[in-house]
This record gives sequence, structure tokens and C-alpha cells, in this order.
Amino acid sequence: MIIDLNAFTGHWPSHPVTGDLNSVRASLHEYGVDRICVSPLEAAWCRNPHRFNEALYRTAGTFPDVYPVPVLDPTVATWKKELERATRELRVKLVRLLPAYSPYALEAADELLEALVAENLAVIIQTRLEDPRRQHQLAQVPDIPAAEIANTAERHPALTVIIGGARTGEIRGLKDRLLASPNLYADVSQCDGLDAIKVLVEEGLTEKLLFGSHAPLFIPYSALSRVVTDLADEDAAAILGDNAERIITW
Amino acid sequence: MTLTELREKLRPPCPALDIHVHPLGPKRVDSVDEDARQILAAADRAGVEKMCIFLLHPASGEGQLPEPTMDQCREANDYNLQMRERSPDRFIPFCYVNPMYPQESVAEIDRCVEGEQMCGIKLWIARRATDPGLDPILQRSVELGIPVLQHAWDKTTGNLSGEPFPQDVAHLAKRHPEAKIIMAHLNGCGLRGVEHVIDCPNITVDTGGGDPEAGMVDTAVNALGGKRVVFASDLPVRLLGQCLGKTLGANIPEQFVRDILWNNAARLLPEWAGVKPI
Repeated sequence: MIIDLNAFTGHWPSHPVTGDLNSVRASLHEYGVDRICVSPLEAAWCRNPHRFNEALYRTAGTFPDVYPVPVLDPTVATWKKELERATRELRVKLVRLLPAYSPYALEAADELLEALVAENLAVIIQTRLEDPRRQHQLAQVPDIPAAEIANTAERHPALTVIIGGARTGEIRGLKDRLLASPNLYADVSQCDGLDAIKVLVEEGLTEKLLFGSHAPLFIPYSALSRVVTDLADEDAAAILGDNAERIITW
Repeated sequence: MTLTELREKLRPPCPALDIHVHPLGPKRVDSVDEDARQILAAADRAGVEKMCIFLLHPASGEGQLPEPTMDQCREANDYNLQMRERSPDRFIPFCYVNPMYPQESVAEIDRCVEGEQMCGIKLWIARRATDPGLDPILQRSVELGIPVLQHAWDKTTGNLSGEPFPQDVAHLAKRHPEAKIIMAHLNGCGLRGVEHVIDCPNITVDTGGGDPEAGMVDTAVNALGGKRVVFASDLPVRLLGQCLGKTLGANIPEQFVRDILWNNAARLLPEWAGVKPI
């Protein structure tokens, strides 16, 4: 079972991608991905990211293997209504925060995050969508430090918190906190460098790592190869799907 | 799809030659043996057979220096030769020099290429490629018949002062039309960078560095043709399997895959590298 917890659909303004859901789904199916959790890319650049969730529910609803991941923004006045709408969708298992793009400090999301606990939903909080050196020069968005997401997880111990898009060094730096926080996990969609995930496995973090592709911005082959090439079957299987199967209420 | 089937699907369909690999160097490992072991192990797992290597920092263990002295370049090159000794069939050493010192660089190239059979030249970020200090180095590369791999990036956050942009590399190629130039970092050069080198037939673009953004190799092949793109990782900064994905996950004809992973590098390297097209 391969579960992609960090995929997207839609358009990206600074780099052309084939982002319609049919294409994203086909590109991941080619490598055996069984479940795909997708958020709308356009939400990152809209002052009200909630505007793209309804369309996501409609398109995702036609595919039994696609799980919509709505983007919620605690600084939009109607976030409670948006959350309520999300809870009516059977296949919403987690929601996404893009605090770097709104932008807001993660403390501003505390009330929303507690509301997620009540709804038995998990959250993925994205550190980055794009290498800052490759962003448009008039639209620079600094990364959210992964450590701030770890702080958030510690403030909300009953909430499953996934760090999205952190790099290997950041995840490695959070080793002790990941191991100490049963509710904190990291996706591997932007891990890179020699033995990028192997070193994390060797640090004892296998059960804390989750597969994410970052498709359609990144190439699915690269996402799968990142996990499969350097790891033993048992570790690869855990990261590719077993961990996600365990921590999310599907 | 089982994990075994997935592993098989991700395996390169032909041998791969990575034209852009940095040894870990003494700052990160205790010995040349350990350095070679780690890199070869990663290459074995990913299906990479040969690697062009160059160290960017001296064997004394200092970090990467944008403007190394020639003594530091020589130290780095000696380390590189030791790496080749550990696996001469797989490591293809390039000579690292600094165009701030053009004549000393030429002497070092002669020592490393004529004397030690290194197979190419690496230029990094000491000077932009528009600088006349590069000219004697390029002239010597033509005489020796070896490629020059030039770092390039187009950072929207701003390049370092001596860091070449893709248009600088185009300028270099036009000054030296006989030179075989490899422009590093397709993904760092981006969609604009590819356009800058379209009319420079002596530039081949390497796929190393940067994130595995969708469509970049496709774009390069469409713009430059399948013969002017060459597989690279920028290991250890990047992960081999991830970098292979840029080519193997691209929507390009099968023959171009073989060219990018092997044949184009084989054509650029001198005969003594011992790399034949397949």
C-alpha cells in the first residue's frame, strides 16, 4: 500500500505543471500509489484560500482513491464554517495549513487546531512549496521553520501533526522531538542529499516518516525513488504507506 | 504493484554516467577510503556506473571556498586522484582550478590532465564566466580535447558575486566556440537559462542540482535536442535516485534517455576516460 500524503492539483504561477487531477492521479498510479491526498495549489496565492476547497471536493469525489485535503486559514473570518463544510466530506482525513503564504504565525491557528482534534482530523503544515532561490523575485515566501511546527505539535498533543516539505537536515535536527512527541510526523517529499532518507532511518525515525510526492510540482519517479532506492523493504514499506495507514483514521 | 516490481520499474534501463559528483571530502569523512565507499554504495543502489568527480575544498578540511588559492586547488585535485585510485573503473576525475589565477590554472591543468590523465576541468564561482581569466583555461581545454564543467545558477534571491548566470556561460561559449562546455544545474538555470544557451551548440546542460521540478528535462530536450543534455546529480548535495528521476520521469523518447544517461557524456569525455557510447 502506497499512500501519498502530500500531493497537489491545479496551477502554479511561476512554473508550468500538468496539474489537473486526472493527470496527477495517472502520474502517481504509474508507480503504484494507491491513495492520493491532494490540496489545491491555487490556494497558496489567494487571499481567501478556502475558495478552492469546494471545487476540490467535487473533482476528488469522482475518484475513490483521491482524498481531498482542504486548505484552511485561521485568519479568514469564516474558518469555522469552512471546517464544518470539510467535516461533511467523508474522505477528508486531514487538512492543510500554508502559514507562509497567508501569512500568519502558527499560534494564530491554535483554536483551529483544537477544533481539528474534536473532528478527529489530522493536519499537515507545509514548511515550503518552492526553493526560495527559484521563486519569482517579486513573490518571495520564506520557509516556515520545521521547529515551529514541532512547537505547534507540542501545544496540541491530541492532534496528529505532519511537517510537510521539510528537508533532511531539518528533520534530523528534530530527531529527539519527533521521537518524544507521539503526535508529530514528517513527510519526506523534500528530503534530499546523499542517503537523504537512509540517514533518518538510521537515526531511528522510520515510524515518524511519511511518503509525500509534491506532485505535480515535483516528478513522481523522484519521489518514489527517494524512498525505495536506499532502504530495505521493511523501512520502505513503513514510509510508503504503513505509517500513514496507522496514524490516519481512513 | 509490489515493492519488488516498483524497484524494478525505478531501475535505469541502461548504464548511467553521472557527470557531476563531489567527493564528500575530509570535512565530512575520515578517509578517502570511506569517502569512496559511501559514494560507490549510493551509486550501486541507484544504478549509476561511472561518475565524474571534483572536490571543491582542500584536503586540509576547510569548507568550500569560493576563491581558493591554487595551493588549495592542488590539494583538492590530489584528493581527487586518491579517489580515482580507490576505483579507477568508476571514478573519472576532473581538475578544479580558479580563473583568478589563469596561468597557474593552466599549469595545474597540465599537471592533472597531461600528467595524471584527468578527464575534464571544473570551474565554480570564483569569477563569472564573462571574466577574461577564464580564457586561457578554455583555450587549454580545447588543445587537450577535454570538457569544461562550469557552475551556473539563476537565483531569484541573487547570485553570489562571482557566481555565473546561464547568460555568462553563453558568453563564454561564444568566445570559445571550439570548447566543449557543460553548463551545470539545469534546474538552477531554469526555464530562462535554457533559452540563453539555445544558440550555443558547444554547450551541453547537466541535469544536476535543484529540486526535481516537473518538465525541466523535457523542456531542455525540446529546446536543445537530446544530444545536449547530460545526466548529473551534484551528489552529495542531491540524492542520486531523485536526480535520475528528472530524466527517467520525463516524457522524452527512449533513445534520448540513453543519450542523456550515457552517450552524451561519452562523446564529451576524452578517449582516455575509456567511456564508449552504447
